[in-house]
Amino acid sequence: MVIDGLSPTRTERPANAEDLARLLAEADAAGHAVVPVGGGRALGLGEPLRRWDVALSSAGLDRVIEASGADMTLTVEAGATLEQVDEALRPLGQHLPVDPQGGPGHTIGGVLASGLYGPLRQRYGGPRDFLIGLRVALPDGRLVASGGRVVKNVSGYDLQKLHLGALGSLGVIVAASFKVFPRPHQELELLTTAPDPWAEVDRALTLAERPQALEIDSGGSVRARLGGSGGSVARLSRELGWEEVEPAGWAGATEGEPVLARIAVPARHLRTLLSGLPEGSRWWAWPGIGIAHWSGAPGAAVVAEVREAAEAAGGSLVLIEAPTELRAAVGAFGSAPPTLEWMRKLRDAFDPRRTISPGRFLV
Amino acid sequence: MALPRSLKVALERVAGPSHVITDPQDLLIFARDGSVAGAPPDAVVLPRTAEEVAQIVRLAAAAGVPLVARGAGTGLSGGAVTVRGGIALQTSRMRGLEVDPVARTALVEPGVVNYDLQQAAGRHGLFYAPDPSSQKGCTIGGNAAENSGGPHCLSYGVTTNHVMAMQVVLSDGTLTWVGGEADHPGLDLLGVLVGSEGTLCVITRILVRLLPVPESVVTLMAAFPTMDRAGEAVSAIIARGLVPAAMEMMDQPCVRAVEATYHAGYPLDSGAVLLVEVDGLREATAELSELASGVLTANEATLVRVARDAAERDLLWAGRKGAMGALGRIQPNYYLHDGVVPRTRLPQVLREVERTAQDHRLQVANMFHAGDGNLHPCILFDVREKGAMETVAAAGEEMLRAVVEAGGTLSGEHGIGIEKNAFMPWIYAPEDLEAMQRVKRTLDPSGYLNPGKIFPDPDAEPHLAGRAGICAEARWW
Repeated sequence: MVIDGLSPTRTERPANAEDLARLLAEADAAGHAVVPVGGGRALGLGEPLRRWDVALSSAGLDRVIEASGADMTLTVEAGATLEQVDEALRPLGQHLPVDPQGGPGHTIGGVLASGLYGPLRQRYGGPRDFLIGLRVALPDGRLVASGGRVVKNVSGYDLQKLHLGALGSLGVIVAASFKVFPRPHQELELLTTAPDPWAEVDRALTLAERPQALEIDSGGSVRARLGGSGGSVARLSRELGWEEVEPAGWAGATEGEPVLARIAVPARHLRTLLSGLPEGSRWWAWPGIGIAHWSGAPGAAVVAEVREAAEAAGGSLVLIEAPTELRAAVGAFGSAPPTLEWMRKLRDAFDPRRTISPGRFLV
Repeated sequence: MALPRSLKVALERVAGPSHVITDPQDLLIFARDGSVAGAPPDAVVLPRTAEEVAQIVRLAAAAGVPLVARGAGTGLSGGAVTVRGGIALQTSRMRGLEVDPVARTALVEPGVVNYDLQQAAGRHGLFYAPDPSSQKGCTIGGNAAENSGGPHCLSYGVTTNHVMAMQVVLSDGTLTWVGGEADHPGLDLLGVLVGSEGTLCVITRILVRLLPVPESVVTLMAAFPTMDRAGEAVSAIIARGLVPAAMEMMDQPCVRAVEATYHAGYPLDSGAVLLVEVDGLREATAELSELASGVLTANEATLVRVARDAAERDLLWAGRKGAMGALGRIQPNYYLHDGVVPRTRLPQVLREVERTAQDHRLQVANMFHAGDGNLHPCILFDVREKGAMETVAAAGEEMLRAVVEAGGTLSGEHGIGIEKNAFMPWIYAPEDLEAMQRVKRTLDPSGYLNPGKIFPDPDAEPHLAGRAGICAEARWW
């Protein structure tokens, strides 16, 4: 395992949360740097890693603790994969609508810590919207929980949100609980390669009800996923008039090519932003929610220019699987948020020695 | 504690002399919110702008005086009560409201009333999803601070799911934005500030997401002989893979009081009335309402009625949303509780609530968000009777304990405030609370923002003898 040219001196694979917390605290006390590793799907995310002693694997924490069909909640350990979760929920007619790129093998902890999600966010929101409980190991060895296993909860601070997309910088996720959803009674995937793909996108987004997911790529294909009652799926399909196809998910989009960056802008600015990418760029976007993934190997100056445009539109550009040199040159995250100082203070309160993935996160 | 004269003068300089209240008589009006506790502030200040708010925060910080933001004062957990005195920052003059129909967002100041936002959004075919029962009075600032819910949160989520960004004043007087219309890297400060009950910041602007009004809405009203049967019907609907927009239950005392007031058409002889609302495309609502209707009938509903038109639907909802007021027909006072359990535990917990009420010779009425497992036992009493408050508090505590022992939580949408802070150790271990306190100490090191809320007061009388420590059922992992 290598991140930015660094390898750990040892890999720990604790069998339970208590052992994980103890190993983390021991490393912290010894001044060793720890990188939590789940499915290893997002190791390229973040600024270049500064040092690495211990790879802390969640592979031993892979239980699906409870899939309570009638309560529509799910409790899992951090090392459980999205595939395991699906296996537990499918017989109940339910699903956890998280579909990030780069699968299979994403773990729950990895998905939450990396902040990744997929096109289904258009219909269901992201994990931020349905994560209801989180248990985290802190560098001082404490195991702390927030939230619970009920679908509505305002008891105390919503601490679980602080860990989403934080790359473990405030603690290592060991377990999570979610509100889950019934699978749609009917599902259908549609494709069009009509000459004006953005006109098709507009049609899909102005339907009486938007598709569950909508994707457009640089090749001019537009895909829509419909889901819901039989009658409504039939009607939307008829109104769109696109071709019915086999569900493809992420497969067709990147063809194994690394995803360089994720661009997020207010949805109405997405088209303009994509038109500003260099000629011949490959990208894959979700126009209903203003997200695009850009692949290829443009130079630092080009990336900086696109990032500037994204930030000017009120958004961001985050490097996902970019080479270390590019991340070192332009930074993984872009302009600092106005509250950076407060984020740093929070990091100080939870990981004062920067034990977890030093250097990778913003603070 | 009287406000230092110099601080009063400084506040007047910021907000204008007519917007600073210090007369003890006038301050009494601001002593209460919708909860049962009360304590007057030493001053009330009514700023107009975010910049004025920032200046007031800086003045309070410099003087070490508690600062409590206050919207409409409809909160039910004491969030706006100035338990340690100090300054109440009243947001009534901050009512700016701009809807952007293209972006489907609204930028509002904290004093905007939830209902006014709904009306403004409605003019563009949009709506704002969180709809607390107090929506005709409560403000968006208060909603964001408390992470409020409402009946339609079953399918749409609570306030935090609809707030995209906020402009806030932090404890050192910094005026800044958190969140954004698009994703931004960094720690999700917005996520932790929403629902922080005024203990981490003062909110000055809120950017909320608006949703298109669904093409079709169908509301069903079903009557059941008992609460248990109605509860089973709720579970059966969920088990069919149906998540309605809302699923609300009322028990017999509630139905009778509401019917006498609103004539909503609820059958008086029913043990429970269930409102089920589905929305979406015409095809979906037709299919789903038929499915729901079949499930309700199969679960021994004695009556299933579909609202014929918007007027009838509004009437059914008027009954539900006006239920609290209608209960005044039974007793002059009420204490409305809020707890959430895993949905399948509802029938059992409702039985325990009823048993507790009987033990204390109290009457309880229930109206609640059945689909979410969010129950609201409403204890009815007459505050003029000697010892009534103590009895009500004791019964409420027992009901809450039953909720926690069923794997539930202390509050689903009202907040902790000073109402439930003593019970926090039931659901969180000391290290869990300490992690929350690290956030508090980091963002408000001197602790003057809404002090005394959320966390157990170490100096308070221990009235939980024998129930100390985290409840085994609260460990969800």
